[in-house]
Amino acid sequence: MKRYDCMKILASKLENELIILSLGGSVDEWYNAAPHMRKASLFQQQLGCVTPEAFGLSLGLPHRKIVALDTDGGLFFNLGILATLANEQPKNLFVVVWDNECYQSIGGPPTHTAAGIVDLSAIARGAGIEHAYTVTDLAVFDKLCDEGLRAEKLFIIVAKVDKTVSPGLKRKHSDGIEDKYVFVRYVEELEGVTIMGPSEHN
Amino acid sequence: MSMSPKAIEETLAGLREANVTVACFLPESLLKEIYPALASAEDIRAIPVTNEGEGVAICGGVYLSGKRAVMVMENSGIRAAAEPLARLGLGARIPVVMIMSYRGDIGEPNWWAVPHGITMKPMLKALRIPYTVVRNVEDIRPTIVKAFTMAYAAMNHYAIVLTGECSDFFPKSSKV
Repeated sequence: MKRYDCMKILASKLENELIILSLGGSVDEWYNAAPHMRKASLFQQQLGCVTPEAFGLSLGLPHRKIVALDTDGGLFFNLGILATLANEQPKNLFVVVWDNECYQSIGGPPTHTAAGIVDLSAIARGAGIEHAYTVTDLAVFDKLCDEGLRAEKLFIIVAKVDKTVSPGLKRKHSDGIEDKYVFVRYVEELEGVTIMGPSEHN
Repeated sequence: MSMSPKAIEETLAGLREANVTVACFLPESLLKEIYPALASAEDIRAIPVTNEGEGVAICGGVYLSGKRAVMVMENSGIRAAAEPLARLGLGARIPVVMIMSYRGDIGEPNWWAVPHGITMKPMLKALRIPYTVVRNVEDIRPTIVKAFTMAYAAMNHYAIVLTGECSDFFPKSSKV
């Protein structure tokens, strides 16, 4: 599967969800695949932080579906989160792991899934996450996205995708700080809450 | 030798006054009584984590929801959490407040804990994380409250370091 094709399928199903995503080629792909979700997406250059941060967001907003778009390299950086998620079983967290079997953004050296031995969804199931699936087919990806987004239970898809990045995409120009402020202001508006209020006085 | 009931009470009171509703933790020995106290607190969701880096990332996510979280850990955890703390704080201005035990402080009777004291302040300085060392139980509550105020105004992390005096841990003399 091509990651960009998967993203367009997933994006077509999203409306009121919040998304936290990883670094690398998936940033510009998601920026283009889901233009209507840009403010609802936190673009994080944080290997190992994506799924934990999404879990934290799901704890604070238990009524809102939270989507983590992680990667094989990112998840390997902190496999322990699978054990924590298994114990905590957040009902509103949907995790997609783009498994391209390489560290694409630095030229493509292999990750630990490249040899065909290590299976991230099996690790997740072994941790105690019942609904963790490896997907290699777009139709199945489409079906499981529907299921995962509707499910009131923790749901993980490991999507086996090509190593290529979709060419000719518009680049995202903002940095992590701007992205954070945009995201926080969007959450404030969506949820009717104050995260960054005014200073005591001007 | 243990964290006194008063110290536990002041810690929980400080967290409540700061409107903290999620506490991630990786248990350690100096503040060991606080972990079951957090786990049994009905108004605070206690989340045991597998390492401190995971814990601070979860806390960062809670911040993004408009709620407040704290990471409770040994000071050695600042080494494990350095990468996500740098990414969250320096890279995205997502603040995380930590309460950590001061292992390796003066009076430390354990050889294995000495490196924790040696590395803690240089690590915090390198990560540009302000901190307050708390030696008196009555200072725990106001320090927690002020740390959250400061962290959320500065959009930067803050570390509250609780010493052995707060846990009545350090023995008067070493046994031979």
